[in-house]
Amino acid sequence: MAQGIAPLAPGLTSFLKSLKTTPADPSVEHLISLLKRRQIRNSRPCAIATTALMLRVVGEFKGRDAAKLVERIRQVGRRLTAAQPREVVVGNIVRRVLGLVREVLDDNTGGDSHAGSDAGHHSPAQHDSMTRPTLSSSISTFSPLRHAAAEPMDASMTSDMSDSSEMSRRPPLLTSHTSYAPTSAAPLVNSLFGLFSQPEDSNASTPTGATSPDGKTANSLNLERLADLSRSTNIDLKSEVMDGIRELQDELEQSDEQIAGVALEHIHSNEIILTHTASTTVQKFLLSAAKKRKFTVVHAETYPHDNTATHGILLTGRKRETRLDEDEDPWKPLTATGIPVYVIPDSHVFAIMSRVNKVILATHTVLANGGLVAAAGAHMIAKAAKEHQTPVVVLSGVYKLSPVYPFDIDELIEYGDAGRVVPYEDGEFVDKVDVEHPLYDYVPADLVNLYITNLGGHAPSYLYRIVADHYRTEDITL
Amino acid sequence: MPPKGKKGQSADKARPGEEEREDPLQAVILADPFETRFSPFTLERPRCLLPLANTPLIEYTFEFLANAGVEEVFVYCGAHRDLVEDYVKKSKWSSRSSPFSKLELIQSSSHSIGDAMRDLDTRGLLVGDFLMVYGDVVSNLPLETALAAHRARRAKDKNAIMTMVLREAGTIHRTKAQGTSPVFVLDPTNDRCLHFEQMPNKDQTHFLSIDPELLSDHQEIDIRQDLIDCGIDICTPDVLALWSDNFDFQAPRKGFLHSVLKDYELNGKTFHTHIVSDHYAARVRNLHAYDSVSRDIVSRWAYPLCPDSNLVQGQSYRLQKGNIYKEEGVILARDCVILPKTVIGRGTSIGDGSVIKNSIIGRHCIIGKGVNVDGAYLWDYASIGDGSTIKKCIIADEASIGRRCTIDSGALISYGVTIGEGTTIRGEHRITKASRRRDLDEPTFDKSTDATIVGAGGVGFEFQDSDEEDEDEIVDGLIAANSMYNLANLSLESISTLNSESEDDVDFEIRHDRSAASSFRSVGSQDSQHAANFDHDASASIYDSLEQGHESANIQLELTALRMSTNASDHQVRRAVVVAFVKHITSLVKSGTSIREAVAQVFSQHKDLVDRSIFDKASSSKVDQVDFMLLLQTDLAHRDNGDAILLSAATKLIELDSIEDDGVLQWWGDAKSVETEELKKVKAKTQQLIDYLNQSSEEESDEDDEDEDEDDEDSE
Repeated sequence: MAQGIAPLAPGLTSFLKSLKTTPADPSVEHLISLLKRRQIRNSRPCAIATTALMLRVVGEFKGRDAAKLVERIRQVGRRLTAAQPREVVVGNIVRRVLGLVREVLDDNTGGDSHAGSDAGHHSPAQHDSMTRPTLSSSISTFSPLRHAAAEPMDASMTSDMSDSSEMSRRPPLLTSHTSYAPTSAAPLVNSLFGLFSQPEDSNASTPTGATSPDGKTANSLNLERLADLSRSTNIDLKSEVMDGIRELQDELEQSDEQIAGVALEHIHSNEIILTHTASTTVQKFLLSAAKKRKFTVVHAETYPHDNTATHGILLTGRKRETRLDEDEDPWKPLTATGIPVYVIPDSHVFAIMSRVNKVILATHTVLANGGLVAAAGAHMIAKAAKEHQTPVVVLSGVYKLSPVYPFDIDELIEYGDAGRVVPYEDGEFVDKVDVEHPLYDYVPADLVNLYITNLGGHAPSYLYRIVADHYRTEDITL
Repeated sequence: MPPKGKKGQSADKARPGEEEREDPLQAVILADPFETRFSPFTLERPRCLLPLANTPLIEYTFEFLANAGVEEVFVYCGAHRDLVEDYVKKSKWSSRSSPFSKLELIQSSSHSIGDAMRDLDTRGLLVGDFLMVYGDVVSNLPLETALAAHRARRAKDKNAIMTMVLREAGTIHRTKAQGTSPVFVLDPTNDRCLHFEQMPNKDQTHFLSIDPELLSDHQEIDIRQDLIDCGIDICTPDVLALWSDNFDFQAPRKGFLHSVLKDYELNGKTFHTHIVSDHYAARVRNLHAYDSVSRDIVSRWAYPLCPDSNLVQGQSYRLQKGNIYKEEGVILARDCVILPKTVIGRGTSIGDGSVIKNSIIGRHCIIGKGVNVDGAYLWDYASIGDGSTIKKCIIADEASIGRRCTIDSGALISYGVTIGEGTTIRGEHRITKASRRRDLDEPTFDKSTDATIVGAGGVGFEFQDSDEEDEDEIVDGLIAANSMYNLANLSLESISTLNSESEDDVDFEIRHDRSAASSFRSVGSQDSQHAANFDHDASASIYDSLEQGHESANIQLELTALRMSTNASDHQVRRAVVVAFVKHITSLVKSGTSIREAVAQVFSQHKDLVDRSIFDKASSSKVDQVDFMLLLQTDLAHRDNGDAILLSAATKLIELDSIEDDGVLQWWGDAKSVETEELKKVKAKTQQLIDYLNQSSEEESDEDDEDEDEDDEDSE
């Protein structure tokens, strides 16, 4: 669009830049206005912006009172989510930061019991679920599905999730457990995810995804151990939380690579894959598979709201619309790796579905019940796939996984610019016809066969468990 | 690279694209467009603070500028500066998190956009390229491309001084300017604007006259009439200089753009356009546009500028199916019905059995039981009594409508007005509580309630159009061809539209049949563009003076000065005098003076004015007198009691000897005086006078008169 010159309009890049110099409060306002103005939109930019802001907020927090810090984060979080309730990711990140704070607290108050295990799934006494520590830890020693086995769904929501940030770090834990051998929990964690993520470890084709988190998390874990050492005397709440937030940032950065790491497990030679909308996660996933295998991609263009970005991502490897990718390296488009890509209008999805072997969907938000909110058209694709018994795989970073239950689906769906559907020039039409242009679709859980997150693959019915691992009950309502 | 110091000072703000920019991008918001198209609401509040979909207009403008990455904003205020200042101070735009590094209010005493621009030039605030927008722009356009194109052009050619951002729209579009339409002649190869004219042009024709050279100089030419001109201009400081050089420019398009393009040979400046075919851009330039932009916003054409974006702090709108937006804390009775395309603000309560449809309802409104609201705009704290029917109208803050009232489409009910029980307000009414005292823009509350309009127990009276002008040339009158806001009667009543529409109706006829007979109308039509302003300025100033009871010598002086400066024809002077007199007389009559007294008062007091515009007493054919009478007749044709006033006026004029007997008789015999039914009707009463004159003056032939009589009888 703007040739040669740097983008002028504010967006994620300008926000991150200004964040370096601006104090927290104006930055919060700034982000709120950007969110309202939709200058930062879609899950990843929102997540990046929120994490960066949280780092700033925590960094500027004065004092050592943890309760006050929690209150401060909640207050910021409430304002951010109120500004744009449909960007659920913002709330997710805030909840995870809150979880971090609580975890640091728990680690310190329950310090002695902590020493042995780093998985941290024993809960400190001050939590509401007083009865459960023994239960969960006892199960955890022999069952990989310890939590799932231990609790019915509701209980899981109220269960203490003292280990939330540990959980978020689980993939690193997996890959780094060798360096972290002394922990008794390591084999356990390994077995927990052996089901899905074992291949990831053994897979030689994804060296980048596996190694880079490795180093970083190992480092941060070391830091944490250092903190552990000093904990008994003097806790540095702030720096620990900030470390946690940085890990969260790493997670955001790496989730695409980690998801791409398992691509070969899911995409086989000569398959026909159907996908839609412009998603970096999906593109990286397919690209990673394309290194080894030949397959065919059918791409629904998601007209009208996302077609320019879709075309852009297919032709040049970057979304033309989004402004953030100036600092992101553009990658080669799929076609450059020799994969044939067919772009079809959404209306042809059903017709072509009989020949498709697998549907891969990108997502905007994944909800705790296993349903997802994705770019409009996803529901239709999933329905058509169901009709043809084609497996539907959803790719999503864990950060998109939300503890929100979709009681009111309409609330989650954003309606966009009607002008994309009908040209505004058509005066008579504009005057007489109401045009609705939903940007997102809600896809119910029963239409999805598998979720692939940066933790591995999960059945939709298992998602609540991951939610329980990542978010604390007391934070679910901000 | 920007200088270091500058970067440091604004680095903490949103500062996108800093490597590229030499100067911070500046913008001027013309918060007061010097018009009265939103009367009577603008009497008490500045236009830019009127709520559009429950958000003040200026918020949309700020959003637009923030979206475009503007850093320094100057808000140019006219009337109600204090209110604008209060608002801006409290808003998020002047807080620390504001995307603007500078937000300044400029107060001015300007009376037109031209004055404002010249004032800006002298202030020297604007250093580099800047955006000029009105305080009523609603747009989600990203300006990057337009700005980049502008800069690229500018780098190549210093004379490319302005880029206008225009939105494509079809031939018929609700958001386009109604009534008048701007025509752009463009060279599509380099987006240059070659010629601009607004239809109907100042000759009141719909013909576009293009310099033949344009055709020979350019390979391709587009003549476009399908563009929404939303007044977004990217200007260089040269534009201001140009305004200053031409101190008689008043309007940015009709005046400035048109003339500068015409004088391309002289000044060598070029204007460019940036035409966009997606995104939303519109100006809320009149009530019709208010209606259509509101509907666009509710139907999400302007996304993300929708109610549920909650642009203003404290808003909490949520979208429900069918474009229903409700804020938190709305109280709905169990069986009230909210139909699609409705916005309801916080604290509003809606009673049992009420039906709300296509409406925008502000905060804390109270709507009773069984009320039917369709297409209405209710501002904050309005209340509607049980069983009322509200159609497409605007009900301003704190206005209250009694029970079982009917408000018809097009009615405007201003702040704090109370409508008594069981009253029906017809569509053409504009009811207010505040009357403007001339020259002080202070609303005063001294006028009495007009119970015939607002009903028993009501408070308020019919708004009298003050004679301010639509300086802006994108004027479409208040009347849209098929608009609900059909305020035809009002605009005929008002001088302010003299330049635009009523002139079309009135003068067209006159000139049409006159072209053969006499030459002075064609003189008028060849008047320079300044003369076009004369009509309005002169009549406005005379009317002002009459209202304030100035001496006629002073009025005469002012009028002469105006006539000289704009090179107006005698005909125009007469017309101005007639229009102002008639307006003053009708307002006197309305305030209770009898017709005879009013006429006597005005004409005897200001006899000089009439005399000084008539120069043919010596000659036998009384062309000027006939013209004067014709103008009087035409003007009165549209007024209440026009016939009675005409009779008294004619009698009085003869009595004062301003018009001679011959003059009146010649007028009576003139073919143009019996042109239309209306004209015949209005002169019917004057028959008695003519009869009397004929008796007294023997030399006049009886036959003519009888013919005339027969004609009259035939027609009636």
